[in-house]
Amino acid sequence: MTGSTQKKRYEGFEGRITWLAFALLLALAGLCLRLWQLQVIDGAQYADQAENNRLMNEPLKSPRGVIFGRDERVVLADNRAANDLVLVPALCNDPASVIETLNQIIQIDKDALLAAIANAEQRKAPWEQIPVKRDISRTELTLVEERSFALPGVYTVARPQRRYYYNQTAGQLLGWMNEIDLDEWKRLKPRYSMGDVTGRSGLEMQYEDVLKGVDGAMIVSRYNGSVPQLKTDERGNAYVEMDSKGRELEVEERIDPVPGGSIFTTLDIGLQRECERLLEGLTGAVVVLNAETGEVLSMASSPGYDPSIFVTNSPNRGQLVTATLGDKTKPMLCRAHEFHYPPGSVFKVLLAIAGLEEGVINEHTTFGCSGKFYLPGVSRPWRCWRLKYGGHGGVAVVDALAYSCDVYFYNVGLKLGAERIKAWSSKLGLGVQTGIDLPGEVTGLIPDPERKKMLALKAGKTEPWYQKWYPGETVNMSIGQGEVVTTPLQNAVLMASVLNGGRRVRPYLNMELGPQVSEPLFSEETLRIVTEGMRKCVARDKPAPTGTGKEAKIEGLDILGKTGTAQVAGLQHVKHYANEEDIPYELRDHALFISGVTDRSPRIAVSVIVEHGLHGSSTAAPIARQIYEYFYLNRPDEPGSASVAQPLTIARREVGQ
Amino acid sequence: MSRIERDLNLLEAHIHTFNYRNLRRLDWLLVGLTLALSIAGLFTLYSASQSAAADVAFFSKYYVKQILFCTLGILMAVLIACMDYRALVSMAPFFYGLAVLLLIAVPLIGFTAMGGQHWLRVLGVQLQPSEFSKVALIYTLAWYLSRYQERIYKLAYFIGALAIAGVLILLILIQGDLGTAIVASPLVFVMLFAAGCRRRHILAIVLAGCTIAPLAYFNLDHLPLKDHQKTRIVSFFHPEADPNFAKDAGYQITQTKIAVGSGQMWGKGFGKGTQTHMRFLPVYHTDFIFALFAEEMGFVGGVILIGLYALFLLRGLSLARDCPDLAGGLLALGSVSVIAFHVLVNIAITLNLLPVTGLPLPFLSYGGSFYVTTMMCVGTVLSVHVRKGFFA
Repeated sequence: MTGSTQKKRYEGFEGRITWLAFALLLALAGLCLRLWQLQVIDGAQYADQAENNRLMNEPLKSPRGVIFGRDERVVLADNRAANDLVLVPALCNDPASVIETLNQIIQIDKDALLAAIANAEQRKAPWEQIPVKRDISRTELTLVEERSFALPGVYTVARPQRRYYYNQTAGQLLGWMNEIDLDEWKRLKPRYSMGDVTGRSGLEMQYEDVLKGVDGAMIVSRYNGSVPQLKTDERGNAYVEMDSKGRELEVEERIDPVPGGSIFTTLDIGLQRECERLLEGLTGAVVVLNAETGEVLSMASSPGYDPSIFVTNSPNRGQLVTATLGDKTKPMLCRAHEFHYPPGSVFKVLLAIAGLEEGVINEHTTFGCSGKFYLPGVSRPWRCWRLKYGGHGGVAVVDALAYSCDVYFYNVGLKLGAERIKAWSSKLGLGVQTGIDLPGEVTGLIPDPERKKMLALKAGKTEPWYQKWYPGETVNMSIGQGEVVTTPLQNAVLMASVLNGGRRVRPYLNMELGPQVSEPLFSEETLRIVTEGMRKCVARDKPAPTGTGKEAKIEGLDILGKTGTAQVAGLQHVKHYANEEDIPYELRDHALFISGVTDRSPRIAVSVIVEHGLHGSSTAAPIARQIYEYFYLNRPDEPGSASVAQPLTIARREVGQ
Repeated sequence: MSRIERDLNLLEAHIHTFNYRNLRRLDWLLVGLTLALSIAGLFTLYSASQSAAADVAFFSKYYVKQILFCTLGILMAVLIACMDYRALVSMAPFFYGLAVLLLIAVPLIGFTAMGGQHWLRVLGVQLQPSEFSKVALIYTLAWYLSRYQERIYKLAYFIGALAIAGVLILLILIQGDLGTAIVASPLVFVMLFAAGCRRRHILAIVLAGCTIAPLAYFNLDHLPLKDHQKTRIVSFFHPEADPNFAKDAGYQITQTKIAVGSGQMWGKGFGKGTQTHMRFLPVYHTDFIFALFAEEMGFVGGVILIGLYALFLLRGLSLARDCPDLAGGLLALGSVSVIAFHVLVNIAITLNLLPVTGLPLPFLSYGGSFYVTTMMCVGTVLSVHVRKGFFA
């Protein structure tokens, strides 16, 4: 055979090929060594990583505890399943076009979304879930699911969402919530994770620990780039595990969330609604306590707000929240315990009790009232409100309470002195915290000489008139003016003690706390005299002058009451107005009324304040009357009421189970 | 001998160019190793197919299609084994021209897929001309080196060989197939070395390469490389600095290491590799199939597989060494070298010893063009062995 290309090998060919074979063997041996290093030396570590890769820790949010009314048939706040629409940029081939498609289906904030995606890309976190729209409606959910093929990387995440059934009713008591910020998260982790909400006021804040519960977790095996989709039941518990591409995921481990504990409140929702209805259009507060126990049956404050706006996702949520937070009328303030007012003549009840107990007056002690009261060395008189009718004449304590004689109590106050007034106030719950289980309770203030001196020294004011306590200040105190301020809730506690035989109650909302009632703080004799005065205050059947609280009178009920009209501006500012109606709103007097019913069970203590309502007698007293009418007479048969037919222990029994 | 007689002799030689009876003299060890590796590949692909979506049609599954490619590849190997390699070598310049033409044509009429490589569609079949150009290069170098073996020690002839390879490699690079170019480059040196060139020439080139490479790395921006290739090179050295870490090369490296490492000594078992089946591993059925194999079969399986490759390659080298004809020896050597480089570089990439570049693993990776090319190399080695007795 011949061939033109055939050529004998040269000498070194075999040797060179052998060299190459050695090189090859060396290289392959090197690969085996590397394989040994990766798989045997570091193998366990990589196996862990593979396991972490495969397994995904999916948090299961604990549903927040339910807040009940007086019994379990009245739910004030619970949870429902909400669907959030989220987007993972890494799973979208082209986020911009996906957003465009989404925009055609549902309303979204396109620009904000694009910015969020750009941000995530920048932070090198393309796998992050970017919220597109929180709490989408069922219609939107259907629309998105129908077009899921055109929306890669977009899916829904379910979570429990707070739901308030009564909207504005008891809004300030329930409180509002919002998401924790970074600093709080650092403090609260691991129990809280970013995006969790926490109570910011009211019961939601007070009982945050109880309501929060403990989040669970589900460890699922997952596919790369997939995100487990949890389906949840009505209460927000996850039960089906699929990923975003519809592949079923294996659940390796599951730690069920511990749902938040329930709070059974003492609130009588019907009464609460009625109180808020009565305050509609007014600014003020109403407190209704069970006088025997201190249960808060109703605590209304007007204007009010709906806490739902902070947790739900209406299209104008931002606007609503901003408007509510910035509202000049302060609808989020619970005026019953988070704000204080001068008690005005309501304070006379305390003075009467203190005077009788301290022995500075007895039932028959009489002071003459000409409408004016002079202190030695002071030319300007203290007036009584009946000055223009020529005063009250000679009155004893019962009539002084009934007709609210200022001059009588000027005398009592001077005899007692500021220290004893303050001591009795503190004893009966005025100017001290009541201990209600709500955050933000203010103390109020009863002034005294020691405090005045201390403040003056602190401020470095050495002149004697800054430090010295003048008798005139005691006179002002005696009718609940001057520096004296109390909360409507404190006034209700005072009223309750008159109704329950002189015991101070601790008002409370959580049924589980149970009543906390003191021993009687004053004698039955004092109680009888004060009760008589307050009964006469609402009496109608007397010839003029009638009791100042007669507007609260209901035939057939034994009602006690005391009106109060607290000056907001000095007389010099308002005396030139011919009619009361001409006085500018912000200068008008506050109208107060405390009252109670003795011959029905449960006995309730009602404290009403209407800001700038002019007179306790004409503005506040009728509100109290309508509350009694609702509570005792026209009670519709509805669940959760605190009337006789509904024993108080329903909810408590539920708690115990 | 008259001119007519000479022509008749040539004609006779060409008539015997194709002779199926030569199949009786095949090297059955090499054939057996080839089949063993191919079957291992089919099983691995079968496992890989499990993780693909379940609704893929039977004939679209990786391993089913790979069976078809295997059949095609074996036919091609048999065809080449039956041919007289000398006739093929004498036609090498023609192959070379064809390869150059195809490589020029592809960017013009082809289409792009799979990370920037160019494909050509011929009669409905997708082809990768860069794969076949490797075979053309082997034959052309064998042709050139055997023709000028006596003068190869001269620098001019050394550079001539480099130029032949250089043109082809440049064209392959231009169309974006960095992997093939990387494999083709050392092929030139191995064949030059075997053909008896001066060692100092190779040394000079290697030293020059070692000098240029760091310079090139620090001036990446100015190089005519595609962006994704630059990214891969950078992310090899700094996987965490990759701007698209989660999506791209750095992610691939990390996930591949996890896949291989988590196989540990005995592996997770056939079809149980979580990294693959949960889709953490990118291109697990082509370039990273060794990671899948190592994850499921462990260190023991990996070493056995590398051992099979070692046996195959050493057998190939020994066949090349035993060939008395220089052209035949160089052909066999070149063919074995191409396969060897693929094995070494691919596994080195998978084990994170080299930057990621698209390079398949012979016999295991999914892919038609590549498998057929590999089998053409095997056929060439067999063909050389079959005819060695003729020249003894």
